[in-house]
Amino acid sequence: MNKLIPIIISGIVVALIVGVVFPSYFAQVVEMQELRDKALSIPKAERQLLNLDHASPVLGSANAQITIVEFGDYQCEMCHSWFHNTRGTIIDNYVDTGKVNIIFVDLAFLGSDSPIAAQATHCANDQGKYWEYHSILYYKQEGIDNGWASKSMLKEYASELKLDSDQFAGCIDSAKYASYIQDSYNAAVAVKVSATPTFYVFDHENGIVEKISGAQPLSVFVKTIDSML
Amino acid sequence: MIATVIFFGMFFPLSILSEFIFVEPFFIIHVTTDLAFSFGLILAISFMSAIVIPMNIYRIRILRKKTSRIGTSLIGAIIGASAGACSCGPIGFFIISTFGAGASLATAFLTNYEIPLRLISLGLLCVVYFTTTKSISTECRIR
Repeated sequence: MNKLIPIIISGIVVALIVGVVFPSYFAQVVEMQELRDKALSIPKAERQLLNLDHASPVLGSANAQITIVEFGDYQCEMCHSWFHNTRGTIIDNYVDTGKVNIIFVDLAFLGSDSPIAAQATHCANDQGKYWEYHSILYYKQEGIDNGWASKSMLKEYASELKLDSDQFAGCIDSAKYASYIQDSYNAAVAVKVSATPTFYVFDHENGIVEKISGAQPLSVFVKTIDSML
Repeated sequence: MIATVIFFGMFFPLSILSEFIFVEPFFIIHVTTDLAFSFGLILAISFMSAIVIPMNIYRIRILRKKTSRIGTSLIGAIIGASAGACSCGPIGFFIISTFGAGASLATAFLTNYEIPLRLISLGLLCVVYFTTTKSISTECRIR
């Protein structure tokens, strides 16, 4: 009997991996597809899938044909990877040419420093430097809750950007934008976003929306955007 | 057969969870240079698990030997599987949103120490591989 125990345990582990992880992932894929189909069936004027009330300012032309909505967390390694490997080329080729604009929605769930970092970007926005602060966070990222996104460090980054230190500190210390971050989190959950980064690519002219989950390579974004243009 | 199931049963889910393989909207394998080492470790752990676990199953079934090595190899495989798999992805989100602050600390640990944990996992699997190989060859010679 004792000899069978390790075999049973290994069988359970393999069964868990094959039987739980795979089916749950594919269930999620099916769910994404359903969400996409649902989005496509909604008339353009009524398509209010995402609550962007407390999202970032628009990066790029407000009149761009395509909007990329990114759900991200400043402590997420894959968001960092996407920021450094893919985003720059999209900005150069599509945002700067007026075809695409980008909106960032905070889905701050990875540790206690994530919501504070997200609030800090909105505090920077009070002084007109949202995107500069957004970028500096992805350049400074070093892990989860290990100090790089503590309040004192966030204030240092504000100084590096030459923001008004007192105003920024007051904003952070008073948690002025805490409700924004919670609202954005709720908005993400409402549309079943459950990972970061997750992207919605909206084609405003043709009424198409595509969901891209994860830090997918540039080629996927190029293919998606080019199919819409 | 078991080795193939274990290899693919570990490699694909771990690569999908770690966002190296995507199936939607297109099937694509994407490994950036900054994450190449992490991908290599997933590959190595899957490969070693696929060798070591069936070897120990063989040892138990055919040679009728009691062994604690399969437990060690399973621990190695589980450490390797958990490290990094719970960060930004749906599993991390599910665990943190369901279990709260404690889960958040655990996922932070597993993410921050992903590479060392995977190296430990690989080390355990290698140790089990060499000890199992040695004991199987000795036992077979005796028989």
